[in-house]
Amino acid sequence: MSKLTIAFAKGRLQYDALHLMSQAGIKCSAVALDSRRLVIEDESGQYRFIFVKPVDVPIYVEHGIADCGVVGRDVLLESDADLLQPLDLQIGRCRLVVAAPVDAPPLDPYALRVGTKYPRITMGYFGDRAVAVEIIELSGSVELAPILGLADCIVDVVETGQTLKDNGLAVVDVIAASSGRLVVNRASYQLKAVAVNDLIDALSKVVAEEDFGGRMVEASSRMIA
Amino acid sequence: MFKTASRTPAGLRYHSGTEAHLRRAVIDTVIEVFDGWSYDEIITPSIDYYSLFERGMGQVEAARAFRFTDTDGHLLTIRPDVTASVARAAATLLSNNERPLRLSYVANVFRQRSHSRTEWRRESLQLGCELIGLAGPKGDMEVLAIAVEVLERLGLQGHFRITLNNVEMFNGLVEELRLNATTADQMRQLISTRDCAALEQFLSEHAPAFVEHALFSRHTQSWDKRKTLAEAQRAITNPRSLAALDSLEWLRNMIDSLGLSEFFEIDFGDLSRLDYYTGLTFKIYVNGMGVLVGSGGRYDELTANFGRPEPAVGFVLDLDSVMEALALKNTAFREMFNRDHLRVEDNNLAALFSEARQRRSNGERIQIGS
Repeated sequence: MSKLTIAFAKGRLQYDALHLMSQAGIKCSAVALDSRRLVIEDESGQYRFIFVKPVDVPIYVEHGIADCGVVGRDVLLESDADLLQPLDLQIGRCRLVVAAPVDAPPLDPYALRVGTKYPRITMGYFGDRAVAVEIIELSGSVELAPILGLADCIVDVVETGQTLKDNGLAVVDVIAASSGRLVVNRASYQLKAVAVNDLIDALSKVVAEEDFGGRMVEASSRMIA
Repeated sequence: MFKTASRTPAGLRYHSGTEAHLRRAVIDTVIEVFDGWSYDEIITPSIDYYSLFERGMGQVEAARAFRFTDTDGHLLTIRPDVTASVARAAATLLSNNERPLRLSYVANVFRQRSHSRTEWRRESLQLGCELIGLAGPKGDMEVLAIAVEVLERLGLQGHFRITLNNVEMFNGLVEELRLNATTADQMRQLISTRDCAALEQFLSEHAPAFVEHALFSRHTQSWDKRKTLAEAQRAITNPRSLAALDSLEWLRNMIDSLGLSEFFEIDFGDLSRLDYYTGLTFKIYVNGMGVLVGSGGRYDELTANFGRPEPAVGFVLDLDSVMEALALKNTAFREMFNRDHLRVEDNNLAALFSEARQRRSNGERIQIGS
């Protein structure tokens, strides 16, 4: 059987994803996980795990360097990568939102400055509404932008909403719900069909069980029109 | 200052040395196979009207082309595709030739904008063949057999897989479910990305009766592809999809009897992006390659754009992907074209040149010592 390479998004999703994998019987030794190695093998030797920045997961998978990947839907929407998305892993749930200062006047649709890590999604969302936006692309601490007057509002992911609240921001609109997805390279799906199938089967069983265990499940993860 | 003297524009490159030689060898081999099936080479104009490709490829694909204007103001483009031009020739120049027409081509195509990050090249070389004037699965089978033969001749046997689908399968469902263009496109997207959960959700909104069908929740992930057809035939009721299934079944049986089963899979989830396809579509994958090596299908309505409707089917290989696949596989084919030269030296230049000439005529590769 051919070995599968799986790319994991480092950070927020990583631990939930590895937990799911181990629930599915795909385990890595603690030594390997604790090391700083970016490439490790699971105990069965059937899987190779690589750890990369979230935005790089779609790139590795689209090129077929990794057969599969685990990454948030927010990253997938932003990347517009041509990938298969067979499974919602229901981890790392969050929402992509437009947020603005609580005390701010209504957003001006004729000249809006938006701070974001998601320029493509932002352009699409406001573009569909005929709002002219100046996108200010940031790579972190996006909440700062409206506070200091760099932007009128932000587009960012929100989990609990605490960070927004602490910084005097409130959700104006929800663009999309997001959660961790299993993504698969189109060619790997055909050429390593058995191995990919086994992985999807194993993970979907775990996801179904975890759900059954009383997790909150949001009704829809589709784009909100 | 922007220095252009030593720079190549994005997505454009040189090929030299062994690589250039191997490219030539691959082209010759593929053309030889096409020729063996009595396909005549056709050379199309490199520059053509933009409107040709708008008709031929659809607006979205054509919009990726380089564009500029002719002296009379008409929009021109460096060809982003060859099929449209071949279809026009078939309907016009070659309209009196005996049918079916069997045509092959080797041509570089140019795209200013890529549709994915894996496609960084803006110039690529396409090797293709078109069978025009022969309807139905018989023509489909011929083109598939040629594809297999080409890949085998390139030493890729055992390394490739061709997935088959028929766009009428999907179109029949769209018609049956009475989906409008937007929702049909949504469904295409969900099937194409194998997002089963979202697909089920979609169907529960648009076609509650279909959610019950196991086929629908799984047909995008049908692993045991031998059962795929039988299952689909049980679940599908609309005549368009059923006709598509019949034609796929005919192909499947023919492929079996030709002993080519190992090379093919049927996959209803592999939907094509080009809107000119009207029947069979197929995609060629090679082990180790994350991207397609080639694709093809039936386009029975394309030539009607040029005044002569007739059935047509064809496929195209992307030379750069083929080269990459060969490099990965390090196949015998590569080794066949590993070559050395002999260096000859002599103070008498006349003697040297005539010796070299003699040896070249024996097929040796000679370098004159300087």
